Amino acid sequence: MLRFVVRRLLLLIPILFGVSVLLFFWVRALPGSPAESLLGERATPALVAAYKERFGLNEPIWRQYVTYMETTVADRDLGISVATHRQVTDEIRQRFPATVELALAAMLFSVSLGIPLGFIAAKRYGGPIDHGSLFLSLIGISVPIFVLAILLKYIFAVRLGWLPSVGRIDLLIFDAKHPTNFYVLDAILTRDWSTLWDVLKHLILPAVALGSIPLAIIARITRSAVLDVQNEDYVRTARAKGMSPGIVDRRHVLRNALLPVTTVIGLQTGLLLSGAILTETVFAYPGMGSWLRDAIFNRDYPVLQGGILFLALVFVLVNLVVDVAYAVINPRIRYSG
Amino acid sequence: MRGIKLLSMAGAVAACLLVAGAATAGSRSEASPSGAAPSTLIYAGASDPTYLDPALVSDGESFRVTKQIFESLVDFAPGTTRLVPALATSWSVAKNGRTYTFNLRGGVRFHDGTAFNAAAVCANFNRWFNFSGPFQDASATLYYQKIFSGYRRNENATLGKPLYQSCRAVGGLKAVVKLTRKNGPFVPSLVLSAFSMQSPTAMAKYGANQGTIRNGVFAPIGTYAFRNPTGTGPYMLEKWTVGESVILKKNPRYWNKKQPRLARIIIRPISDNTARVQALQTGEVFGIDLLSPPLVATVRGNSRLKVLSRPAFNVAYVTIQSAKPPMNDIRVRRAVAYGLNRQLVVNSFYAGRAQVAHAFMPPSLPGYAKDVVKYSFNPTRARQLLREAGCGPPCKIEFWYPTGISRPYMPDPKANYEAFKASLEQSGFDVQTTSMPWRPDYVKNVNQGTAGHLNLIGWTGDYADADNFIGTFFQGDSPQFQEKNAALDKLLNAAEQEVNQAKRIKMYQQANRLIMQNLPGVPYAHSTPALGFQKRVQGYYTSPIGTDLFKTVFLGGQ
Amino acid sequence: MSAAELEIAEIQLEQSTGGLWNEAWYRLTHNVGAIIGAVLVSVFVIFALGAQWIAPSHPSDDVHLVAGILQPQPPSTEHLLGLDLQGRDVFSRIVYGARYSLLIGVVSVGIGLSIGLLLGAFAGYFGRWPGSLVMRLMDIMLAIPGLLFAIAIVAMLGPGLWQVMIAVGVVNIPIFARLLRGSVIAQKENEYVLAARVVGVPRRKILFSHILPNSISPVIVAGTLAMATAIIDVAGLGFLGLGPQDPSTPEWGTMLTDANEYLAAAPYLAIIPCLAIVISVLGFNLIGDGLREALDPKLRGRA
Repeated sequence: MLRFVVRRLLLLIPILFGVSVLLFFWVRALPGSPAESLLGERATPALVAAYKERFGLNEPIWRQYVTYMETTVADRDLGISVATHRQVTDEIRQRFPATVELALAAMLFSVSLGIPLGFIAAKRYGGPIDHGSLFLSLIGISVPIFVLAILLKYIFAVRLGWLPSVGRIDLLIFDAKHPTNFYVLDAILTRDWSTLWDVLKHLILPAVALGSIPLAIIARITRSAVLDVQNEDYVRTARAKGMSPGIVDRRHVLRNALLPVTTVIGLQTGLLLSGAILTETVFAYPGMGSWLRDAIFNRDYPVLQGGILFLALVFVLVNLVVDVAYAVINPRIRYSG
Repeated sequence: MRGIKLLSMAGAVAACLLVAGAATAGSRSEASPSGAAPSTLIYAGASDPTYLDPALVSDGESFRVTKQIFESLVDFAPGTTRLVPALATSWSVAKNGRTYTFNLRGGVRFHDGTAFNAAAVCANFNRWFNFSGPFQDASATLYYQKIFSGYRRNENATLGKPLYQSCRAVGGLKAVVKLTRKNGPFVPSLVLSAFSMQSPTAMAKYGANQGTIRNGVFAPIGTYAFRNPTGTGPYMLEKWTVGESVILKKNPRYWNKKQPRLARIIIRPISDNTARVQALQTGEVFGIDLLSPPLVATVRGNSRLKVLSRPAFNVAYVTIQSAKPPMNDIRVRRAVAYGLNRQLVVNSFYAGRAQVAHAFMPPSLPGYAKDVVKYSFNPTRARQLLREAGCGPPCKIEFWYPTGISRPYMPDPKANYEAFKASLEQSGFDVQTTSMPWRPDYVKNVNQGTAGHLNLIGWTGDYADADNFIGTFFQGDSPQFQEKNAALDKLLNAAEQEVNQAKRIKMYQQANRLIMQNLPGVPYAHSTPALGFQKRVQGYYTSPIGTDLFKTVFLGGQ
Repeated sequence: MSAAELEIAEIQLEQSTGGLWNEAWYRLTHNVGAIIGAVLVSVFVIFALGAQWIAPSHPSDDVHLVAGILQPQPPSTEHLLGLDLQGRDVFSRIVYGARYSLLIGVVSVGIGLSIGLLLGAFAGYFGRWPGSLVMRLMDIMLAIPGLLFAIAIVAMLGPGLWQVMIAVGVVNIPIFARLLRGSVIAQKENEYVLAARVVGVPRRKILFSHILPNSISPVIVAGTLAMATAIIDVAGLGFLGLGPQDPSTPEWGTMLTDANEYLAAAPYLAIIPCLAIVISVLGFNLIGDGLREALDPKLRGRA
């Protein structure tokens, strides 16, 4: 097991190196440069040319990559954003917690609803609940996420006025403390319950929008996994022994059915990050997704390189954790090599 | 398995119809205003400021904030482009046209307690003049370069001879500024937030004059521009969370005891037009800028909201790259002018908030000429001109438009483009489409003259002078228009140096006539941008150049 | 991409052992969902292929003024689904839009499928280092969130219909590659392959005439589902302003996005393309589901 983890961690290095090379060349292949993006209508050709000359943007690309790696390693940071002039690392510290909070809330929503839904659907196989949940899950994966987000916002924020439509927190709470930038955690740490309630309210709509597709998928996977497990020999044996149905369900069916579900939950990291780009845009939510989207439009080279590299690292690590968790839950799997 | 799939179809239909239900249900609940303390205003713009040293930024979102923290020597009277005293109570020009004397307001202090006096004024002028290294980059000091041309020691060949010569403090409250040459736009341009007065002690203390370039980007090193901007303005920076809010609090020692009227101003970035209006509807913000025309009706239709207008101080136009055949033929350019259905575009996509432009500057500005050649939509005439010029019809041309942008003068470029394309095709042109993201691809190509024959773009004025419009466009080399006209160039140079206002006006009027005869492009709209507010927000004056002051704003009862 | 990726994980969990085509066909034609899906998809394809005969007017050239200006008009007898903000017939645009969606789906899935299959089969059959090299490359591609990856490609190639198809297609490559690799590896150890090897059948022949055909059923399912996600992804790119170059192109995602500011004033402008997207995506999902059930031996005799 330890060997497996170490091996996977070592594998991280070539993957991250690959991503960084890929990113660097991609960013340089984008048409235009930050010069034009900064100057806007006021960018005259002379100004742009002087700018490029000055910052080595006319150098050969491999030379620029070497320079980039040198400065990154020498300064131990990811550079300064073209758009905000802040350290990319500072911005990640501010925005990553926002996205993590959103993603966890979405995950919580989809898991806590998806697993029971899938389980009940399988138990009531062929009945109205089964049909209903299948129907819901089909809709879930057929509606584009931004449509759902716009819809939820329009109904629950604009028309009904039940929930807020933008951001992470009511701005009138300007005295709230944010030691970790995880606003939910901050509110709990400072025992500021009214702020906690406000922050949670801001999470509901984006989390539901973002969690809809995972919800559908988790419900479907749980359903088919439970159906499979139910017909396994050990379950039949347990039943034949006269064990109570509740215990059989808990000890044998659900536990074994959850194995494939864990894998799927791990796979959702990428999906959530993709979805976050659209959801955060609709709800003006200050997280990584909307940040990277803007960075692409602004040709914000340092943000793109640093931000995506960071996300790739997180993504790979999460998958590693999921794999390890999977091995722990399922002793039949041995990661020998 | 039966039934379900049918059910799921019905569900899909229902999901989409929900939008309809919600949209047409009328406002069931107008959303309660958050339990706001009545002394705080929450306002939404489109994005965060870049940073808060006004001498080193050039974008409207930064100026929106710096205008509250800092003040200039002169300013516009609220809601107009009329110059009025600000930190200078009066000023005069010597006979040579190059020496300006500013009499300063007494008893004013910067937020850090430093006295505002003639020495502070000179310190600011000298700071700009002495900028070196990374500070001479256009991304840092664009406006300084535009008005003052150069620095004490220019480090870049594109810079010119500096306009500024010296500044002398005479006693405590009189500053004498000497220029190297006569310049008409000098005083009007001082309203720009880029030329506002900053505390010399705070700038030294928080490292305002340290900057660097890394990864090709200018960035201030000290904390001044991020956490400690220090001016004389009615508000001071309290806290800035990128992507979330800029919080400003009242300056208790402001020189005008009646202002500001609110304890706090919170400015938050919401980039999406619809999202901004929705936040206004839900009461999450009390006012928004950049209200797009299709959404004006939504705000009007809400009994708790109101629409304010920003005076038209912009021009939307179609550039013609006249060096590219067939556009080098004046007859083809005239065919373009007759073939663009400008009236239809203005009527359809500006919600009644624009007028057709007949010149490259707004009618409110001195120097505007009413008697320029006017072109109204006439497809027959256009076809005839094309036949005379021997280009088709159909005459094949490239026409470009930008994506991912909404400008006050061009709220929906795509809509304008589609209608123009249709009207040009009706007038004997064969139009090839190219679109690009506004930043940076589109603007670069248009400005460098590497875009299509025709391109959609526009301009919002920075200060109230004709020089800021037609001077910017047509004086000297302008690849955007590829217009080489010696007579026009001479006229504009003379006008810039003329300090007699009556003579200047005559020169600019003549320039406008020349331009519309020669058609380096076709102006099509002066828009009146809209802002949305809760009705209880009062005392808000909209500035033509887009930098509104919050010091007069207060919240009334519901 | 991302949704497809998960679906595929699901498929892999219940992988078929192949060779059940007749029974699968029987089960497919007796699955109400699949039949409804087939009907929806057929309507969609008929719209796409016969647009010029079905649409009452040209999707971009025929412009109707309302009260002298260009403005939206609600559905009426004259214009079944109303007029859009440029005064064009919405029904005609929906019909022509089907053509673009079909094209986008087929081309992008085609790109992902063909390249992904080649790489996957290669990696699966030639295990060891050439195979794992390819799979590490796929890992790198998978390490970047799908939509972001697609945006990145469009940003590089410039906006436009073909660029969008390529972007969505490229994002699909590692998904198909992984899927097929898994399948091939599973098949490789099967008895009939071992038998063929013992008899001395050449490697390439084993791959193409034994392993691939038997690994293909999950790919068919994944392909159908990927059609559905491709349509959604393209709409998402359109929403972010990365749609087709010519603004008058009747692409559904772009139509929906253009209507965003008119949600209150003219809600039908958003509802109609939204319905078109959801219904066609649903169609492909229903067929995909049906295929999965039909091809999955474990579900035999259940549905």
